[in-house]
Amino acid sequence: MTLVMVVDDDQDLAEMLGIVLTGAGIDVDLVSRGDEVLDVFRNNPPDLVLLDVMLPGLDGIEVCKLIRAESMVPIVMLSAKGDTNDIVKGLEAGADDYIVKPFRHPSELIARIRTRLRRTNADVMGLLTIGDLSIDVTAHEVSRGGRKIALTRLEFDLLVALAKEPGRVFTRDALLGEVWGYRHSTDTRLVNVHVQRLRSKVEHDPEHPEIIMTVRGVGYKAGVMGGS
Amino acid sequence: MNRFANRLRNSLASKVIVSTVLLSLAVVWLTGSALYSQLSDGVREVNLESSLAEARSSFFNAQYQFLLIEGEKSSVITKAVQEVIISSTEISLNQDRKSIFLNRFGTPFRFSLNIESPDYSTTTDGLDISSFPEELREKVRSSDLVEYQYSKMQYKDRKDANVLIAGRKIEIPKSGKYEMYLVYSLNNQNRTLTIIKNALLLTGFALLFLIGLITWLVVRQVVKPVREAATIAQKFTQGDFSQRMRVESSDEIATLGTAFNEMALSLESQISRLENLSRVQQRFVSDVSHELRTPLTTLRMASEVIYSQKDSFDPTITRSSELLVAQLDRFERLLEDLLEVSRFDAEVAVLEPVDFELIGLIERCIEDVRASAHDHVISITIDHETENVMIKADIRRVERIMRNLLSNAFDHAEEKPIHITVVSTRTEVAVGVRDFGTGIEFSALSRIFDRFWRADPSRARVRGGTGLGLSIALEDARLHNGELDAWGEPGQGAHFVLTLPRIAGEQIGGRPIRPQPEDYPQNL
Repeated sequence: MTLVMVVDDDQDLAEMLGIVLTGAGIDVDLVSRGDEVLDVFRNNPPDLVLLDVMLPGLDGIEVCKLIRAESMVPIVMLSAKGDTNDIVKGLEAGADDYIVKPFRHPSELIARIRTRLRRTNADVMGLLTIGDLSIDVTAHEVSRGGRKIALTRLEFDLLVALAKEPGRVFTRDALLGEVWGYRHSTDTRLVNVHVQRLRSKVEHDPEHPEIIMTVRGVGYKAGVMGGS
Repeated sequence: MNRFANRLRNSLASKVIVSTVLLSLAVVWLTGSALYSQLSDGVREVNLESSLAEARSSFFNAQYQFLLIEGEKSSVITKAVQEVIISSTEISLNQDRKSIFLNRFGTPFRFSLNIESPDYSTTTDGLDISSFPEELREKVRSSDLVEYQYSKMQYKDRKDANVLIAGRKIEIPKSGKYEMYLVYSLNNQNRTLTIIKNALLLTGFALLFLIGLITWLVVRQVVKPVREAATIAQKFTQGDFSQRMRVESSDEIATLGTAFNEMALSLESQISRLENLSRVQQRFVSDVSHELRTPLTTLRMASEVIYSQKDSFDPTITRSSELLVAQLDRFERLLEDLLEVSRFDAEVAVLEPVDFELIGLIERCIEDVRASAHDHVISITIDHETENVMIKADIRRVERIMRNLLSNAFDHAEEKPIHITVVSTRTEVAVGVRDFGTGIEFSALSRIFDRFWRADPSRARVRGGTGLGLSIALEDARLHNGELDAWGEPGQGAHFVLTLPRIAGEQIGGRPIRPQPEDYPQNL
């Protein structure tokens, strides 16, 4: 069974989330205070963290940073604040996905959680390269010249999604569907922020990207491999 | 000249300086001319007196000489006459030129060879006798005194000149009575007068310049704080209330400064009070919306769980669960719209422009609206000149505008077709959404973008729109520097036209699509 840690100070919402997730066959660990998260996390590492932003004890953004510092576990933020600033802040703290309350359907929440839990790109195996990066899909590792680069699972999925078809231009919508499991959305802030984060980890010069290139007005593509 | 007049009108300093200088000019002119006339009168008088005194002595000397030689030979007399002529025309200090004119009574001036009574009539310096004033000659002939007159004298070999003529009757032995005239050139006197005049003019101009300068310095002292006040007032207009005038003395200007600063302080506190109030108000709306979200999320999930089990309930509970879900949907939309409106009111709505293709977006919106309206009867045609219309705009907002316009058209189309037109120019892009349904009363057009406004209050809310859609659409369009126009005619349908700049934030130059549709009679 997969285990999801639900961090929310609203008891009723937490309980409801518990009911819905349990109904979908997911185990739930409920935590109601921000400063209790790390202890529970260490004692019983979950497969995914569903994190509210406004929390007593410790702010959700801080909690997110603390978890990210020691684990690459998928983090989905759940917040009543839907302004771009709030979303970008959450994503930059290390969240993989950001869901604004109230979300349309519980099934959508489940779908997005499942996407985060599933091994995406299950069809791709073995070794991929873009530029001077080598991606070991099976071992879930990215390295440059033998040196490992630490990526979150989402960043890894995003990189693989682009790398498995080098040169193909992915629209932001397509990436949202493939990597985040969104059915349809034009809210592409998620993609932009994560591409920036990924670039800052894998590019030599994030200002002049060579691995993940922007196609103006359309989306992104993986840089076509050099001679090697 | 126009520029000068403008400056004069616009600058207090120039106005004061110009009027001061003009008034001073009048005063300086008056005093200057009075001074000049007094001085020149004096100079003339002194000159006249000295010339007349000299003339008298010359006449006396001549008379005396001729008396002495009474009865002598002609040659002696001739010599004496010559001596008299020479001595009389001797130029003394500060005299310019002196000429003599001697004329025997009765005879016109000509040389006579009569030895017995030789005619000694003569003139020196090339005087033109004809220019001698006849009036004076009459007087001299009939009087025994020295007569004088100012006159203009013509010379044969020189320019005319102003002169003083003094004349007297003289008797030369063996010859007869003569008129003797001494002609004093006034050149020196005139030169003196010119020097005085120039000196006066120079002094006058220097005075005017100094007065202008002093006025400028004084006016600047007064105008500077006024200008400062104007600059600060301008900053106030731009919303900067932190500026204050400097108060350094305790004169009237300082009073102005203090009063101005007090006004600024009062304005600032008033405005910050109002700002605070409206901030509190907006904060409240925003907080309420946020606080409502968490329970709404719980409610939604609960309702979905119930709804998913609806088949196992009896029909009333099934229907109730359906209504619950639908109303929660509506409630959520309302909440979302309210929050958006509060963002616009608080002016925190930010534009996040990206490049995207408009036609595709519109097509997607049509699909979504059609799906959510569960209405496949209404046909929608989309008419565009080019396949792709790339624009740079906030895609979320443009999508929201299109959804609002489309669902609005769906609501009022009465199952007649909807026609969409897209026209793009170099600088802007326009989307027209035309329906042929109920239409809009003319009087309602101006209120159609008002919040919660409904064309017909008694009409049932068929689709359950929030009543904020068009108002938000307008705000969204304006945030792009675009515009949203509406046209409507009862029974003829409505036409909404969205005009956006190709690149968000730039200005739109016109309306590629006119709100009044082309299919409608233009002259009505």
